[in-house]
Amino acid sequence: MAAPIPHPAPRTRAAGVRVEGVNLSYGTNHVLKDVNLEIRPGEFFAFLGPSGCGKTTLLRLIAGFNQADTGSVIVGGEDISGLPPWKRDVGMVFQSYALWPHMTVRRNVAFGLEERKLPRQEIEARVERALDLVGLRHLAERRPSQLSGGQQQRVAVARTVAVEPKVLLLDEPLSNLDAKMRVQVRRELRDLQQRLGITTIFVTHDQEEANTICDRIAVMSDGVVQQVGTPMELYERPANLFVANFLGTANILEGRIQGQGPDRIFNIEDGIVLPIPPDAVVPADAKLVFRPQDAALDRVETGAVPLPGTIAHREFLGSSVRYGIQIGGTEIVVDTPFQSGNVLHEPGRPITVSVSPRSALWLAS
Amino acid sequence: MSTRFLSVSAALGLSLAATLAHAQAPTGKVTVVTSFSKDVTDPFKKAFEKAYPGTSLEVQNRNTNAGVKFIEETKGNNQSDLFWASAPDAFEVLKGKGLLQKYAPKATGIPEKVGSYPINDREGAYFGFAASGYGIMWNERYAKANKLPEPKDWADLTKPAFYDHVSIASPARSGTTHLTVETILQGEGWEKGWRTIKEMAGNFNQITERSFGVPDAVNSGQVGVGIVIDFFAFSAQAAGFPVKFAYPTVTTVVPANVGIIANAPNKAGAEAFVEFLLSTPGQEVLFDPGIRRLPVNPAVYAKAPAGYPNPFKDAQFQKMITFDVDKSEARTAVVDTLFDQLISFQLNDLKAVTKTLHEVEGALAKKDNPKARALVAEARDLIAAMPVSEAQASGAELRGAFTGGSQKGARQAEVEQQWAAFAKERYAGAKAKADEALKLAR
Amino acid sequence: MALALSRPVPRSHLSPGQLLVAGAIAAFLLLFLVVPVATVIYVAFTEKGTGAFTLVNFLDFARTDLFVRSFWNSVYVSGMSVVWASVFALPLAYLTTRFEFRGAALIQTLGFLPLIMPPFVGAVAMQLLFGRNGTVNLLLDDWFGVKVPFMDGLNGVIFVQSVHYFPFILINLSAALRNIDRSMEEAAQNLGSSGFRLFRRVVFPLALPGYLAGASLVFVKVFDDLATPLLLNVKDMLAPQAYLRVTSIGIADPMGYVIAVVLIVASILAMWASAAAMKGRDYATVQRGGGGLAKRRLKPWESALAYGIVGLILLLVLAPHIGLFLLSIATIWSFSPFPDAFTLAHYARVFGESSIYIKNTLIYATLAGLIDVVLGTAIAYLVLRTRLVGRHWLDWAATAALAIPGVVLGIGYLRTFYGVTLPGGTPLAALWIMVVLALAIRRLPYALRACYAALQQISVSLEEAAENLGATKTRTVRRVVVPLMTGGILAGFISSFSTAAVELSATLMLVQSNSDAPLAYGLYVFMQSPAGRGAGAALGIVAVLLVALSTFASHLVVERSQRAKGAAQ
Repeated sequence: MAAPIPHPAPRTRAAGVRVEGVNLSYGTNHVLKDVNLEIRPGEFFAFLGPSGCGKTTLLRLIAGFNQADTGSVIVGGEDISGLPPWKRDVGMVFQSYALWPHMTVRRNVAFGLEERKLPRQEIEARVERALDLVGLRHLAERRPSQLSGGQQQRVAVARTVAVEPKVLLLDEPLSNLDAKMRVQVRRELRDLQQRLGITTIFVTHDQEEANTICDRIAVMSDGVVQQVGTPMELYERPANLFVANFLGTANILEGRIQGQGPDRIFNIEDGIVLPIPPDAVVPADAKLVFRPQDAALDRVETGAVPLPGTIAHREFLGSSVRYGIQIGGTEIVVDTPFQSGNVLHEPGRPITVSVSPRSALWLAS
Repeated sequence: MSTRFLSVSAALGLSLAATLAHAQAPTGKVTVVTSFSKDVTDPFKKAFEKAYPGTSLEVQNRNTNAGVKFIEETKGNNQSDLFWASAPDAFEVLKGKGLLQKYAPKATGIPEKVGSYPINDREGAYFGFAASGYGIMWNERYAKANKLPEPKDWADLTKPAFYDHVSIASPARSGTTHLTVETILQGEGWEKGWRTIKEMAGNFNQITERSFGVPDAVNSGQVGVGIVIDFFAFSAQAAGFPVKFAYPTVTTVVPANVGIIANAPNKAGAEAFVEFLLSTPGQEVLFDPGIRRLPVNPAVYAKAPAGYPNPFKDAQFQKMITFDVDKSEARTAVVDTLFDQLISFQLNDLKAVTKTLHEVEGALAKKDNPKARALVAEARDLIAAMPVSEAQASGAELRGAFTGGSQKGARQAEVEQQWAAFAKERYAGAKAKADEALKLAR
Repeated sequence: MALALSRPVPRSHLSPGQLLVAGAIAAFLLLFLVVPVATVIYVAFTEKGTGAFTLVNFLDFARTDLFVRSFWNSVYVSGMSVVWASVFALPLAYLTTRFEFRGAALIQTLGFLPLIMPPFVGAVAMQLLFGRNGTVNLLLDDWFGVKVPFMDGLNGVIFVQSVHYFPFILINLSAALRNIDRSMEEAAQNLGSSGFRLFRRVVFPLALPGYLAGASLVFVKVFDDLATPLLLNVKDMLAPQAYLRVTSIGIADPMGYVIAVVLIVASILAMWASAAAMKGRDYATVQRGGGGLAKRRLKPWESALAYGIVGLILLLVLAPHIGLFLLSIATIWSFSPFPDAFTLAHYARVFGESSIYIKNTLIYATLAGLIDVVLGTAIAYLVLRTRLVGRHWLDWAATAALAIPGVVLGIGYLRTFYGVTLPGGTPLAALWIMVVLALAIRRLPYALRACYAALQQISVSLEEAAENLGATKTRTVRRVVVPLMTGGILAGFISSFSTAAVELSATLMLVQSNSDAPLAYGLYVFMQSPAGRGAGAALGIVAVLLVALSTFASHLVVERSQRAKGAAQ
């Protein structure tokens, strides 16, 4: 994929995907709960969530391998809910790649084109193009078992894009690769998607993968879409505790909200209270959430109230130092930038932590 | 051995000598290798064990040839006491190899011959205990559905009406069929006999591997007519099957036999079994509906069920031919192999030409054509041609080839291939003539 | 993915225990397979009269039209039997494994039944139903005035054999189909493939190794089988020719043994060819996607069609059993579509007279099955987990037993062991245990394949973990390997047991007395008389039920153990 492109990239018909009111149950197990999503044409979109959250089920539902109890899937304005998988024109790359061991790479890639009964010459040309696209033309006559994991993954992608589907579905495509390959291949995937301009849905449980290559992400948990947004939006303004916790590290402080109006306070523990900014929207059972880098040690941010704590432990991370700080019964983490010459705090030392109201989030559980 | 036994023996009418012989106590396991079915062996086993308390009859069921083979293979350490089967030929083979123990039965009342066949081996190696004749069995339902006339003689089976309706066991596999074939050959002569056999064979539907395959097929109605030994038909009738049986003119009544194997582990028991078979109660067991064979003691027929054939009285048995056992024994392998090579393995060709000949004769019956008639005769001669003369058949050269003699000589496979090629060529020639005749006759 | 899943590496060093086991197995195979067979077939290489080594007999074979014709007939019949067996097996295997199909387990069990059709009676029943004057033809003749020659000549053999042996394809193909990961199929659907094209282009090629394994078994078994052609009065095939020659009276002719050699060589060639064709196509380990099995739901009309097809096939392949059952309750059945009247007398007779056969059969088949799984497990372990020199020879020798006709083995046993006497004066060959050994040798290949497959699926790391925790090799085998192989071992036991229970050809030569005889022998004896036909059929039904019940019980055990294991993982 890093190779220069000798042929023009295949044209694709970018199409939007709409998921409307989808519910799916296996017996009593409600796997997808009223899922509504709008994926724009040409977008690189991720379904992100822990295993068992329903993201793969939703992807397979779009591909036609699962049937929704209610709701519909609309691709490019056409309701495809009733169509069998082979009539959907929705390309999928499987987690296991599902390369057919009895066919060579070339036969694998040609398969979908042959099923579409294209003229032989066109098939050949498009196979060549697809293989060039992933830089594997020289391995066309190999069998899948003779390829490395990364190469197999590329063949799987080539096989799917060769048919120029309206939408490309990627089911955990990087999970079978080692760490280094994963970084390289995800960049290549993004690059390919950009060149083809194809609407792509990417299923992953790895927030870093989603953040680095996707335009927008739907965070899912327990069959419910928790939040949809760009990686930055999700990080900056998580809609709930789950999203905050799942994307990046978050400190969560529990407490009781006491008082009314401008006098509202957040009582973490006896003697440890925070005033709540008057303009903050705070749900009744809210918790205080902030990122490790949004707190300051021994330095009171504007408008912030210092919380007393004790340094429990310390991790040196190179560009920063991460302190674990005991505040009452809770331990939080705080990152401070490190520059050479800085003096580090020693564990056991009492210290004050302040969180600026700007970066404090009040999220219901 | 109580008074009860004595009274039983008295009732049996056994001689004093026999009683004394029994008094020497046959006990324990008596092992008999037999080709007879359970239906035959079970009643005898029961009666024998009752007559000789303390004995048990061990029945090893094998077809005749496999039984002979088995006794040969195990002669080094023989564990069998008796060989009990129909075909005298098989006994001749065993006798020839010294595998039978000579014995003089003490039973009385058994004549020298049944029909014209000696009941016992002249040298005392084996003894006839029941007679059977060969003949034709047919299924009445089948015959009715296919409008078959009642067959009375071998020649009837060569008629067009029976085309594809007749079944026979391979003589190489069935001792009784071998005797049937040999009977026809001896009764009609070598050349004419083979002609009759081949003309019948043109009407064969199947050649089975087991003797029982033929009555089985007739019983179930898979074929209409079978060439079988009489008791197959009688016991099938007794079991309720809609079958009938006829003795043809050229046939013979042949005894089924029992012989003591050399070095029998239980010699006393073996002798007791022979005596029992020949005694009146033993002979009467033959009337059992599952057995239905002809006793060799004429006196026993007094108790026979109504309509039971009696070879010592009935007229049809008196004209039966004399069977030359020595002649038969000398050429057993050659006759069987000729049958297989000329008929069994060429059956499709033989049937094809026979079918055409039937058609020609049907056409000629309506409108005669001398030229066609001549062609038919030529075709029939071609079919009847034999690669081996009667003298050659029992000659030393062929015997050597078939017995694996210690001399280097013609190999069996070579000879067989020659015969097969001979038949194939003649049948092809006959077919060509028959086809030509058919064109002329139409 | 394929690279990550490396093949199990055989261990480099051998323990004395392994050497001992290998030696014992080699001795067993030598004594009870190689030597007896060699004593029979060496005749094929000796010159008439002089006894010197020669190949002239093979030249005679090639020059004799009958043998050449028999050879090609055997090839043709075996090939066509594979074709028809595939026609029966494919829909059953595909429908029951890849779709949500009510009664799939029942169908699989019923589909196994034809394999346990006892000899003789199967062909007899088929004649009654499909023969020239069987039920079907009598009815056809009545209604339409036509007859179909189902059972004429080679056709009959092909028909009966394909019905009899198709379970080999069904079993192997079903296992292979179950192994196909759902993503393999889904990827094809996703790319626009469906229906028969999907099956032809993706599913079937992936199941091909299993299919080939089954098909080669069918080919070899049909090639070697003599009972069916003989019962249908077809003699111009190779196995019947060998039998007729070997057992014929007064014929000290080497051709029977020459044919036996040809049979053995042809069978080994067929198996070698299928092994060669499968080489590098063992997809089972390559395609583990973790997706498991995809069972599709059928639309109502598809469902109706599928049940129709399955019903039709089952009716056909179970026809021998149906016919046999009718025969077992029939009074007289002669030239009529159905028996004249019905009775239970045959069963009374069988239970009165023949319980000894049933007892013997259970003992023999169980012992043979046990010997087979012990040998099978040991050979599989030696081949897959050690670097013992010559270990493959054990495998090949055991597998070659598949190609040895039962008659040849039976005669070989008589020749080898009849001279050996026990202290009491009884010859060794006369002991009933020889029947068990002959059965065990005959069925060893089936058990071996099952054990082999079971061991292949166990990752070496599981054993290494045990050794790492201090278990010796022997204890590892006992505590880890064998428990994990339970399913495969039981499967091997079932196939050995159930087929040994109805085996005749070797036993017919070896059975020395009625009191030692197994069921198949009793059947043979019954079927020799008109009045014994019904009783023979009844005994056949008893045999089928007996084996079917044992098989079903073992199935339950396998399933339970596998479910327990699945839950633990």
